[in-house]
Amino acid sequence: MSTEEESAVKEPLDLIRLSLDERIYVKLRSDRELRGKLHAYDQHLNMILGDVEEIITTVEIDDETYEEIVRTTKRTVPFLFVRGDGVILVSPPLRTA
Amino acid sequence: MSGTEKAGSGTTKTPADFLKSIRGRPVVVKLNSGVDYRGILACLDGYMNIAMEQTEEYVNGQLKNKYGDAFIRGNNVLYISTSKRTLAEGA
Repeated sequence: MSTEEESAVKEPLDLIRLSLDERIYVKLRSDRELRGKLHAYDQHLNMILGDVEEIITTVEIDDETYEEIVRTTKRTVPFLFVRGDGVILVSPPLRTA
Repeated sequence: MSGTEKAGSGTTKTPADFLKSIRGRPVVVKLNSGVDYRGILACLDGYMNIAMEQTEEYVNGQLKNKYGDAFIRGNNVLYISTSKRTLAEGA
């Protein structure tokens, strides 16, 4: 991070504030992931996201081979309210390559 | 009371003192789910929300993702540990 940004992140929620109006990655419980534009948030990490892609990962066991099959399901949602208590991780876009 | 103890020394008084002392250092954050995050601890707050830089995600010891910056919501945190290895040395 640049010096300016380092001084701006005095507490973790500053990282979220700096991500307003940017596309962010959100990792949720139950093996769900979101990518969307952050419109608003509060101290609980409730968030309003726009133009959201949701990815759900499931693991099935093949009946014959007992192999694990990892499957991802994707859907898009124009506008989404995310309840904060399911949030595990939020990552802003990379600011440097 | 004696003079201020050096931050991070073995005689820090409280858990909060430990957390203040590790700011800016490489840490390992273990979540309740068992996933590890390794990176530089930028800051944390009273809920144990964490902001990290150069974050790497390990699942069952395998590197799965990298994030330039990451915010981890405090309710998920099982522990925070300083890491003796430098990040350059990898997992």
